[in-house]
Amino acid sequence: MVQNDLSSSLRIVGQKSSPLTAPYHNLKLLIQNKFLVRNLVRRDVRGKYRNALLGYAWTVIEPTLLSIVYWFLFIMLAGNPDEYYAVWVLIGVIVWSCFGKSLMASVTSLTGNTRVIHLVFFPRIIFPTTAMVANITITVMSSLVVIPIILAYGFPFGIHLILIPVGIFLSGVMGMGLGIIFAPLNCMQRDVEHLFRFIVRAGFFVSPVMWTYEMAMERGVFGEIVLWNPMVVPITMARHGLMGKWPDMPVEWIGYSVFVTVGLWILGNIIFDKFEREAVKHL
Amino acid sequence: MSELAILVEDVALSFPKKRGLKGLILGLFKDNKVRHHALKGINLSISKGEIVGIIGTNGCGKSTLLRVISGIYPPDSGTCKVRGNISLLAGLGTGFSAHQTGRENAILYGSILGYSEQKIIDKLPEIIQFSELGRFIDEPIRTYSAGMKARLGLAVASAIQPDLLLIDEVLGVGDPAFRKKSTDRIMEMVRQAGTVVIVSHSFGMLSEICDRLVLIEKGKILAEGNPQDVISAYHQNVKSTKE
Repeated sequence: MVQNDLSSSLRIVGQKSSPLTAPYHNLKLLIQNKFLVRNLVRRDVRGKYRNALLGYAWTVIEPTLLSIVYWFLFIMLAGNPDEYYAVWVLIGVIVWSCFGKSLMASVTSLTGNTRVIHLVFFPRIIFPTTAMVANITITVMSSLVVIPIILAYGFPFGIHLILIPVGIFLSGVMGMGLGIIFAPLNCMQRDVEHLFRFIVRAGFFVSPVMWTYEMAMERGVFGEIVLWNPMVVPITMARHGLMGKWPDMPVEWIGYSVFVTVGLWILGNIIFDKFEREAVKHL
Repeated sequence: MSELAILVEDVALSFPKKRGLKGLILGLFKDNKVRHHALKGINLSISKGEIVGIIGTNGCGKSTLLRVISGIYPPDSGTCKVRGNISLLAGLGTGFSAHQTGRENAILYGSILGYSEQKIIDKLPEIIQFSELGRFIDEPIRTYSAGMKARLGLAVASAIQPDLLLIDEVLGVGDPAFRKKSTDRIMEMVRQAGTVVIVSHSFGMLSEICDRLVLIEKGKILAEGNPQDVISAYHQNVKSTKE
């Protein structure tokens, strides 16, 4: 690494501070390497839609098509529950996919960058972080789809719309936090990756993607169980923001979800930092 | 003796071996940690300004040693100390993004190698000129030939002068004309860099430029010193293992 103040004395290679301070150190490292982070994010975002005729439009087309399919499926199964139902599914798909993609990208962040890891040294927390930032960026771009929806359905334009990117951000950080806990393990046995691919698919149904928080609440006590799923808050938040209101759910559950997100991120950093060095030897 | 640039003290490094499900379950009951010991107690000190070559048969731990020095693998035991900034020249063009242009990739690769934004911007014209890509610099990398990629990789990697230069078998890329140019360029880097460690199999080149050679065999240093002596020690060792 090119660093100027190091030329004076012998330094020990690869010395690290205690993993417990990793969250703080990792944040510092990310700021120190912000130029690299920016370039890697740009590579991920631009690379994804290069060579496609429709380019960035796919960020919007993909969730729209998906939600049309789910909307159709739901109507076949349950009849039309709500005139806005297709919109709620669309928001659900967008926020959930941010979580799912950040999660998978973080789980595979070490295994997928084997070549770079073998040839250059830089702080490895940069891999999952850039994947998360790239996913959040792409997802925020795809959430521009709400503009025609607002015009078509006559939702109010206002400050509440900020809840959509906030929900996306929460879900992205949660995905990364959970993912980096298992990234080192995935270097040892790739089973982890397959298990998580299943979790993302199954989690889709136990999270309010095809259903809404309000539907769950109608089920009484049974419905309250779903609140333990920390993904309920980000998705519901984005939906309520689109409706033009602040999240209409108990404040302690919002706090719980934010707490889980931050907690996972901190725990993830500690575990990632502790095991990453041994794990890369498996690559 | 001038001041030390690299000090490797009793460094050992082992890699875990892949185990199947059976091995994994057995491992729960008894400690059967099967590990491949790549480096077994390496001691090496390199002074500032020295050019040191590392030789040895394939898989003897040469590249692993360079990776330990550059910080990719932390040693299991022992310490490795260095002075100044390090640059490892290996696998030129790692991290290139196929859909971005040569120019964008030069910046990306530079940032992967740890250059600052200002430095890359300053060096960009020189990089583009050295890579001889002409108008291709603004075309996506996927349209490049292998040689063009290698040229761009070398142009970026050699743009900045490190204090410690580690070279792992990167000589001889591209067409003959560029191969000469790239060898010249690396030689120029070697001359300018404070300290150089080269891993290579081209003994002719090594004996020409190195002050000292180190022979590694099965993770241990077998011989060290004058290039001619070490090369003959290598041949002797190869012969004896054959018999």
